[in-house]
Amino acid sequence: MSFINYSSHEINCKIVYYGPGLCGKTTNLQYVYKKTNPEQKGKLISLATETDRTLFFDFLPLALGSIKGFKIRFHLYTVPGQIFYAASRKLILKGVDGVVFVADSQLERMEANIESLDDLGINLAEQGYQLDKLSFTMQYNKRDLKNTMPVETMNRLLNTRKVPAIEAVAITGIGVFETLKTVARQVLTELKRNC
Amino acid sequence: MIVICPKCKIKLKADETKLSVEGSRFKCPKCGTVLIVKKPATEIKKTLDKNKILVAHANPSVLEQATSLLTEHNYQVITSVDGIEAMVKSLKELPFLLIIDVVLPKIYGFEVCKRLKSRPETKDMKFILITSVYNKTKYRREPDSLYGADAYIDEHSIVTRLIEKINKLFAPPEEEKTETSDQPESGITEPRQQDSPVESPEQEGRPWITGQAGPPVEPSIAEKIEKAKRLSRTIISDIYLYNSAKVDEAIKNDNFYTLFAAEIREGAKLYKNRISSEVRDMGDFSRKPWITLYLKKEKT
Repeated sequence: MSFINYSSHEINCKIVYYGPGLCGKTTNLQYVYKKTNPEQKGKLISLATETDRTLFFDFLPLALGSIKGFKIRFHLYTVPGQIFYAASRKLILKGVDGVVFVADSQLERMEANIESLDDLGINLAEQGYQLDKLSFTMQYNKRDLKNTMPVETMNRLLNTRKVPAIEAVAITGIGVFETLKTVARQVLTELKRNC
Repeated sequence: MIVICPKCKIKLKADETKLSVEGSRFKCPKCGTVLIVKKPATEIKKTLDKNKILVAHANPSVLEQATSLLTEHNYQVITSVDGIEAMVKSLKELPFLLIIDVVLPKIYGFEVCKRLKSRPETKDMKFILITSVYNKTKYRREPDSLYGADAYIDEHSIVTRLIEKINKLFAPPEEEKTETSDQPESGITEPRQQDSPVESPEQEGRPWITGQAGPPVEPSIAEKIEKAKRLSRTIISDIYLYNSAKVDEAIKNDNFYTLFAAEIREGAKLYKNRISSEVRDMGDFSRKPWITLYLKKEKT
């Protein structure tokens, strides 16, 4: 749920990048950070393990225009993808407005995608949310690799809700902003509807 | 070049240096026919300019940085800020090398590379893709495909490594042998998935159960069992993904269960939390993937 700060005329929206281990969630955030103007963004905070894997989350605040005189600030978060960090993931989902599910397009990671999507549903439900009622965008990442699953098959397996799905190669930036714009648009539409 | 008189069929030698593109007139010494001989268009500039490099990037500071570096090394540099301009200038100026941003506006860098490599007059051009990685030591992943380009360089290492990359690219073949694959200079390389303990689901013919998030329709027992199996496979897959070298070593040394005791315990806990006792009572579905992984790795 968006946090509205009346004194500073700001609305904070929380977008969480979710997905299985090593699917490219942090890479998405790093690219966004790299390509946005300094005045638009805050510091990119990463809590990583010694091997550079996300331990708790990455966080990136981003300013994107205004609605009815209120500045809109997006807070982008990633979750640790490794299956054991379920507790951290649940915590990070608290107060979420929009979810980007970053799916790894590699054939052998399809089960991990499905498991992670299941995990997302469970963690949201435990917080009292329903994925069907949230702003939700899919990203099919690593499309540059050889062993990728066709998009149609991924749609069938993962995108049963028929939400927007964007093909990406996050490491080179392909599809990164398209994904962010899509989910931001969904969140803003929802926000305007409730304003 | 040799020209044949269309009237008397005599072979005449024409001095190419005196010919112009529009055509030069001269008389056949035998029959007096006036001939207009044009310099063949392909002859004008069919070879790549061995001194010219095109740098294409939307960011002027990157262009400036690369230009000054290359000029210092006696290269002639032309620049482009988008893909269309890069295409046009490349066809006109025929540089021998393009240093080009992957996400160039209008036409992506790799697309420019593909298009130029497919044209006969530009197929021998070499390409270095400029990639963007925010943190130079973290989250590196070696690209699996360079989209037909010959090398890549991270934006932050243009000053330090570009000349070295160019030299490597044009080094004699015996040196090239070890350098054809572009290696990242530092940092973490994300493990490839080919050795993943979880086999391709399609190969094993496993029934897929789609991710039913949110309020689920009560799944059948068969679906619940499949879910339990899938969770087990994912747990093991994740352990392997994050510790592949350690797992291989442990299996080789036959101390896998000791070395990974904590992970196995954690996995069992997660399995117990996620899988209902109803399904757990029907069999230990978490065991088989461990054995599969063990046997598979032992074999290799």
